[in-house]
Amino acid sequence: MAQNEHLRNFGMLAILIIVLSVLPPNLNLYQRSVIMFTMMYVVLALSWNIISGYTGYVSFGHVMFYGIGSYATAILVVDYGWHWIPTLFVGVLVSFVISLCIGFPVLRLKGPYFAIAMLGAAEGTRVVATVWDSFTHGGEGIGLPNVENSFETYFAMLVVMLVTIVVSYWVGHSRFGIRLNAIREDEIAAESLGINSTFYKLSAFALSAIFPAAAGGIQAYKVLYIDPETEFFILVTIYMKLFAMFGGKGTVIGPILGTFILYIVQEITWVKFPTAHLIAFGVFIVLVARFMPRGLMGFAIDKGWARKGMVH
Amino acid sequence: MAETEIALDIQNLKKYFGGIKAVDGCTFQVPKGQISGLIGPNGSGKTTTFNLLTGVLDADSGEVLYNGENIVGLKPYEVFNRGISRTFQITRIYREMTVFENMLSASSMKMPVREARERAEQLMEFVTLTKLRGEYGGNLSYGQQKLLEFARALMTDPELILLDEPAAGVNRTLLNNLLDHIHHLQEDQGKTILIVEHDMNVIMNHCEKVFVLDYGVKIAEGLPEDIQKNEDVIEAYFGHR
Repeated sequence: MAQNEHLRNFGMLAILIIVLSVLPPNLNLYQRSVIMFTMMYVVLALSWNIISGYTGYVSFGHVMFYGIGSYATAILVVDYGWHWIPTLFVGVLVSFVISLCIGFPVLRLKGPYFAIAMLGAAEGTRVVATVWDSFTHGGEGIGLPNVENSFETYFAMLVVMLVTIVVSYWVGHSRFGIRLNAIREDEIAAESLGINSTFYKLSAFALSAIFPAAAGGIQAYKVLYIDPETEFFILVTIYMKLFAMFGGKGTVIGPILGTFILYIVQEITWVKFPTAHLIAFGVFIVLVARFMPRGLMGFAIDKGWARKGMVH
Repeated sequence: MAETEIALDIQNLKKYFGGIKAVDGCTFQVPKGQISGLIGPNGSGKTTTFNLLTGVLDADSGEVLYNGENIVGLKPYEVFNRGISRTFQITRIYREMTVFENMLSASSMKMPVREARERAEQLMEFVTLTKLRGEYGGNLSYGQQKLLEFARALMTDPELILLDEPAAGVNRTLLNNLLDHIHHLQEDQGKTILIVEHDMNVIMNHCEKVFVLDYGVKIAEGLPEDIQKNEDVIEAYFGHR
């Protein structure tokens, strides 16, 4: 790809970061929270996109890594008295190890079988969090110390989002990413043409597991109370999947754009129509799936506004 | 005549699918630096043999010696990394990746990106696909997909190239092009090529040696003109006289 195309993309990213950095003092608490959660979903959508968009292994259980992260933070802060920042790294590490243990057997499954296995893995983790009273506080959940943290968590999420975007950008413009694409397109051909698919799938899976853990940890510190039902809620997986698909899976800009648009639309409809918003949202999703199956980026490619492929 | 070197030494290769003996003790030696053909009626085990050679299927028994090493039991990518590349009977290009990305995907990670890009450009030029480099693989015509698959198989500069029905579904002009490329690889670069093909013109006019399979067993080998007259081969194709 031309050097100036990278420059343009990083310029756009720099503008986004500057805007998001200078905004907070001018916002009220609610607005700050909305933007923080939007950034969180950018992290989740981009992470889901690495394994499911690039590699084609559609995960229905990605919330488990987010839940593991939030539990790591909550347990270490409340029971062990840690400062909350280092707990994020522990969450990431635990998520990384668990992703390898689960990924190794589960990534041998394909298509719907993989999707369902991941759904099962996430549900299983939720059950463990519910029944393991002595460690996770079980179904009653964990309350975190109530301190004003909206600036801290906002900027922590901004940093995690930035790292996720940069890593996604690298995946989306490298031979590593192309090889993930090749596995998505035809795994047998990819293997026959020199790609060690087990290694690449596991790498992609682990990459897609670590950022949600960091996001989950920050979120736990922000919301001050977590329990298994909310931290392993399937709707979180559905949202990240939806945002990525709406923007265009298998691209870097797609999930970012998709999240900023859909999360804010979702927030507005939720405020205005607390009961009807899920119906409106559902109809919208059906329309997108029907008329824009490859998302905004697919639409842009069809219109000739964006180029096909990720490496040029 | 000087003893020709052996590129691939296949010994007593077997693969059963339940009761079906797809490959049943197949033995033959592919000569180095030549174009050889592998023929046989439908279901005679040609593609299964290819899949056994490339690690896509695991052989039940037998050996395949390549540079003195038994490659049976290796994973497909390990076989590929030893210098054996292939195409497929029904093309398996990556449909939602561009032509250029299809090419780049097969480059070795050891090769620096810049070199890999140059090589991809050269090979696209070689098979006249440069104009389509930014197009999705799935948007190419079938013949162009065959060319892309062929070029993609050459990305790592393999020593041995296995082509599974390169002529099927390809028009004459494109086919002649492809055959020119194949001859160029063999004559100018000393590559070994093994072709599975139903198109007898391709086999008879372009292969130096031909192996015939029937019910998973090699029933004949030799020069194309001898194979044409071979009673066993005629019987395998047309039945008992």
